[in-house]
Amino acid sequence: MTVLQPGSSSSAATTSEVAAAPPRSAGKARRRTARPGRQGRRTGTGLATLVFLLPTLLAFGYFAWWPIGRSVILSLQQTNLVDPPEWVGLENFTYLFSDPLLWTTLRNTVWFVVLAIVFGFPVPILLAVFVSELRRLGGVFRVLVYLPVVIPPVVAVLMWKWFYDPDFGLFNQALGVVGLGPYPWLQSASTAMPSLVLESTWAHAGGTVLIYLAALGSVPTELYEAAEIDGASILRRLWHVTLPQLRGVILIMFLLQIIGTVQVFTEPFVLTDGGPEDSTVTVLLLIYRYAFINGDYGSAAALSVLLAALLALLSAGYLRLTRRWSTT
Amino acid sequence: MRARLSGLLACAAAGSLVLGLSACSGSEPAADGGKITISVSDMPPTTQEKSRQQFLDRVAKFEEANPDIKIEPSEAQWDAKTFAARLAGGQLETVFIVPLTEPQGMIKRRQIADITDELKALPHAADFDERALSPATDSAGRHYGLPTSEFALSLVYNRELFTKAGLDPDNPPKTWDDVRVAAKAIFEKTGIPGYAQPTTTNGGGWLLTAMTYTRGGRMEKEQDGKWVPAFNDAPTLQTLQWLKEMRWTDNAMGAQMVRASADVLKDFSAGKVGMHIATPSTYGDHITKYNGNPEMFGVTALPSGGTNATLIGGKMAVVSPKASHAERAAAVKWIDYYYLQPKYDVAIAESRAQTQAADKLPVGIPAVPFYGPAVDGPVTEAVNKHANVPVKNFAPFLTGSQQQEFVPEPTVAAQDVYAALDTVMQAVLTRQNADPAAELAKAEDRVKPLLERAQ
Repeated sequence: MTVLQPGSSSSAATTSEVAAAPPRSAGKARRRTARPGRQGRRTGTGLATLVFLLPTLLAFGYFAWWPIGRSVILSLQQTNLVDPPEWVGLENFTYLFSDPLLWTTLRNTVWFVVLAIVFGFPVPILLAVFVSELRRLGGVFRVLVYLPVVIPPVVAVLMWKWFYDPDFGLFNQALGVVGLGPYPWLQSASTAMPSLVLESTWAHAGGTVLIYLAALGSVPTELYEAAEIDGASILRRLWHVTLPQLRGVILIMFLLQIIGTVQVFTEPFVLTDGGPEDSTVTVLLLIYRYAFINGDYGSAAALSVLLAALLALLSAGYLRLTRRWSTT
Repeated sequence: MRARLSGLLACAAAGSLVLGLSACSGSEPAADGGKITISVSDMPPTTQEKSRQQFLDRVAKFEEANPDIKIEPSEAQWDAKTFAARLAGGQLETVFIVPLTEPQGMIKRRQIADITDELKALPHAADFDERALSPATDSAGRHYGLPTSEFALSLVYNRELFTKAGLDPDNPPKTWDDVRVAAKAIFEKTGIPGYAQPTTTNGGGWLLTAMTYTRGGRMEKEQDGKWVPAFNDAPTLQTLQWLKEMRWTDNAMGAQMVRASADVLKDFSAGKVGMHIATPSTYGDHITKYNGNPEMFGVTALPSGGTNATLIGGKMAVVSPKASHAERAAAVKWIDYYYLQPKYDVAIAESRAQTQAADKLPVGIPAVPFYGPAVDGPVTEAVNKHANVPVKNFAPFLTGSQQQEFVPEPTVAAQDVYAALDTVMQAVLTRQNADPAAELAKAEDRVKPLLERAQ
């Protein structure tokens, strides 16, 4: 009988003990450790800490927070990057909402996210379970699964562009051998987006698989042993033991996947340039066009701000809704 | 006291970091010991050893002839993705080279300098062919750029596939109907797509514009003092109908429809495309980038749909809007010295051609003349002495293009027009039941507010 391979029991127990530590105790511990800090501040250690922290804060401030602030300011301006910018109030936002392409773009992006969640989200979980099940060659499969992540994204996308070529591409040639196709892949408005999702899932699943594998390693073996004694099948063990134990990681990965897929850019930029018939123009591609094709930096910033606000709201709502189920 | 010391330390840390960052942000070209320093882009890369050396020699000679000017050459080339950041960060060269599709948008955004006064002081200024200057001339007649290389859009065809299909490669198509017949013959005899049409990165709209011009149409028209879309009309519709029939009735275009001009050229060089629209200068990439066979490259004038017209493509030299008056004058002097002298000075033209041929770069590709025949004639003759391209393959183009009118690009928001027309072309070429008239109407609705906003 196949046994789910959760890793060594001693390490799992240690991890689970740490994970199972009650939050209240942790809070007390934090409060306890906070006292010397206050003491330290009184003796000047706090200022020294601040001085040591300052380069990091400044670097973050200059390269992350300041650009975010500048984007918000830029979204209210029109600039040619030469003359002083002109304040235009909400004109850039008004323009965005009058651009018919915005709604197409939002629909496309939501469609990509849905497809990526429906098809792309379960794949890494299943792959992780599969790899963790292997008694032999587990290392080889880990490498194979992670390999696409190592390939530079543009190289990977260009490789898939060749796979998808309707005349000479690998997929149609291979499917032709068994009498299937030819399929239009990127050449049809209805199949272009699923084709992008397929490439994206292949390219990004590896990193997520590693995270799930690490999480699987912390699942106590006793749970599987107990389930096995109770006669649970592999699917029931997966459903009743593995998935509940991975709950915290799954919830976070789900949110990260939504945030990541909403920001899809490389695939439509390289494979289709938003076509055919605007069916793969995503929000980021539209931002790119505003800024770098039309030189309309104000509208590009306005759309970036809208996207960031939308993602922040979505994340906050999601975290609030899932707080009850979260293990962290 | 301790708090003050800590504050000072914090300020020092912050100051050092900010100063470090400022040091990265570049600086404006500046006077250096009484000299005007300007930076110039597009120095040939080290892989083109002789051309690079000639460039550096020319820089040295220019500095010798103009002791008050110092040149800082750079290999940087135009990249739409980095332009804004380099402009804002002060990293943009004083003289930089842009594709012909860019200057009109840059003029509107005031991102390039007005060089009208400097241009008028140049040698042979009165002999300029206005068509060559038009891509960087605004509606008031002010000039913002000088041409460095310009080529008329043409029909590029595979001479070997023509022969295999029983067509005469020395008598290429002259009308769009001829193109359709040839494409069908190539596909039927060889199984290779007879004609390919780029449809992305605004290239589809750009080519549709040129094709519309050959049927007497325009993409924009002036109405009550404002520019409005004009493409929802018979000439564009006929072109789309023609494409639709080639794609779905004749099945002569293959199945790859969502691609850019560069993708088409790559396939052409690999012998996988019979004909496509491009400039004769793509012969350079055909040979040096895609290792194509020189003999298979044929080129003729853009076919006619009742009107002899075409668009021009190529590059122009423009000047940074941040340049001072003196820097701007030095910049135009350099553009004249490096890019224009070989177009009006016979000896320099011949020497440049000789060096390019030694670097195995193509010499003898027919270009749009910058000056009238009296100036251009002897120069072209001198250059052609060193021609290393198959000259006879370019003969149909030379004959056909003489009668063509060079129509400028749409006046307002050309890139928005092209983007909307990319979508129309994709609809017609990827969806069999697409209605070209309905697609054009949709594009018109999309472009109208964009043109209004741009004026």
